Amino acid sequence: MFVKFLFLISTLLTLAGAIGVVAVKNIMHACVFLLASLIGVAGLYVTLGADFVSAVQLVVYVGGVVILMIFAVMLTGGDKADFFNKFGFEKVSAMGNKKTYLVGSAVLIVFTLSVGKIIFNIIDLKSSKDPQSYVSTVEQLGHLLLTDHVLAFEASSVVLLGALIGAAIIARPNRGVK
Amino acid sequence: MNNTIVSYLLDFEIVRNMFDFVSTKFGLNASGILTFFIFFIAAFIVVNVMAVIGGLGTYAERKISADMQMRIGPNRVGPFGILQFLADGVKMIMKEDIVPAKADRALFFVAPTLCLMGVFASLAVIPFSKGLTLTHLNVGVVYLLGVSSLVGIGIFLGGYSSNSKWSMLGGMRGASQIISYEIPVTLSMLAVVVLAGGLSFDKLVDAQTGWPTGWFIFHNPFTFIGFFVFFVGVLAETNRAPFDLPEAESELVSGYHTEFTGMRFAFFALAEYVEVFVVCGAASALFLGGYKVPMDLGGESILGQILQMGSFLTKTFLLYYVVIWIRWTLPRLRVDQLMVVCWKYLTPIALFNLVGCALWVYFLNGKSFYELVMNMAVTSIHSGGGH
Repeated sequence: MFVKFLFLISTLLTLAGAIGVVAVKNIMHACVFLLASLIGVAGLYVTLGADFVSAVQLVVYVGGVVILMIFAVMLTGGDKADFFNKFGFEKVSAMGNKKTYLVGSAVLIVFTLSVGKIIFNIIDLKSSKDPQSYVSTVEQLGHLLLTDHVLAFEASSVVLLGALIGAAIIARPNRGVK
Repeated sequence: MNNTIVSYLLDFEIVRNMFDFVSTKFGLNASGILTFFIFFIAAFIVVNVMAVIGGLGTYAERKISADMQMRIGPNRVGPFGILQFLADGVKMIMKEDIVPAKADRALFFVAPTLCLMGVFASLAVIPFSKGLTLTHLNVGVVYLLGVSSLVGIGIFLGGYSSNSKWSMLGGMRGASQIISYEIPVTLSMLAVVVLAGGLSFDKLVDAQTGWPTGWFIFHNPFTFIGFFVFFVGVLAETNRAPFDLPEAESELVSGYHTEFTGMRFAFFALAEYVEVFVVCGAASALFLGGYKVPMDLGGESILGQILQMGSFLTKTFLLYYVVIWIRWTLPRLRVDQLMVVCWKYLTPIALFNLVGCALWVYFLNGKSFYELVMNMAVTSIHSGGGH
């Protein structure tokens, strides 16, 4: 009964937050609704018995991603004239160019392979054998991440490193211009 | 199933009898509703006691600062002015509730509540004693980090929604400071997690002993440094001096809560003081042996629980005193110094500690420094006997 109530509350929170995100016009309010929705998702993970995933959901999404989104809202926007060059084209094209397509497709291939590896294993697991019984999911996750899914683990860490270096390069002041 | 306060109480005959009695009386399985009821009462008590401790925190802050500045401090309300926080609370409720004309009203109402929610949610895993903890979540440490980050969002939204430049600057500073300092804090927590081999607070505390020789702070040189990294990090995360840039009163009037009045302001203040208690409790549980009593005095009985609570609260309040002491001793850092301290010093040191702890566990089988020295002393006495 406890779990059912938790499921009901989490579902309502998730759905109401998600509807709020697309319904409101103020982008800051949308961020707060997103926060509610993400907390609801953490609650859903708890009802599924995925304790570690729900705690990480709180740390990463509630603590990190929402704050970063709000920061991004604060630091962008403003004068629209800055976004276009003198011919009226967007300076940073939203649809990308040749280089970004090349890098994007390479990343896509790596991700498809690593995610596919995980998903095939899960399908295999259901058909053949019972999942190992652990009291807590933390040990299980740790074992699987460093054995079966080490490729996905490493790929995601490389992506994060790339994002970090990219952010540092973008934020670095131009050396040539005085 | 995690160990919770309900599973502790179910060890007693009376409580089990009560469960049976209610079940037979109403002819249905009442354990679900009774579990909820017990949790509700326990959470109610913990939250209220913590609110009083937060209020007493403001009194302690004023009294200790008065001592340090050769003043008397509050001494009118009650004996030694100890009821000052109640008078302040009444004053806060009676004040006019002002919302700035161009404020974002919805977020203005949400922000203080988010702060308070985050802090009170983190009380669920604070280990007061082995039995009297609301729940020993098996991912307790990660949960604590997750819910306490709600405070950062509350501070930022408070700064944004009041539509004032001082508030905005304070909110921006607060949010950036909190997410930056989360990294060294998490890394130094992980060093202890590596030693204990678990993420739940009961596992972390039970891996230590009552005597200081078995505490994690004295386990090895890395955890000794790690404790100070952790403590500096949580000072910054709770926006306490010397890291109180979000409310730097000499430059930003009062920072993110400049525009807040009445009870909303009180929510921010209360959240800050309770959060200081929470992080001090986490520090004492992770590094200073938590609720462990020397020689396990009292054992599993009620007396044992009271002694354990005394042990935990003594360490926590000593750390609380240190936090206040630091506030009235050190000058405030500049913003660039703040970021330099976090990214150039604390984060590399915490990473080094984490790797060091892992190597220590791997090569020395997790034996503490004290155990190694004692082993060496014993073997040298035995081998030196022939001289």
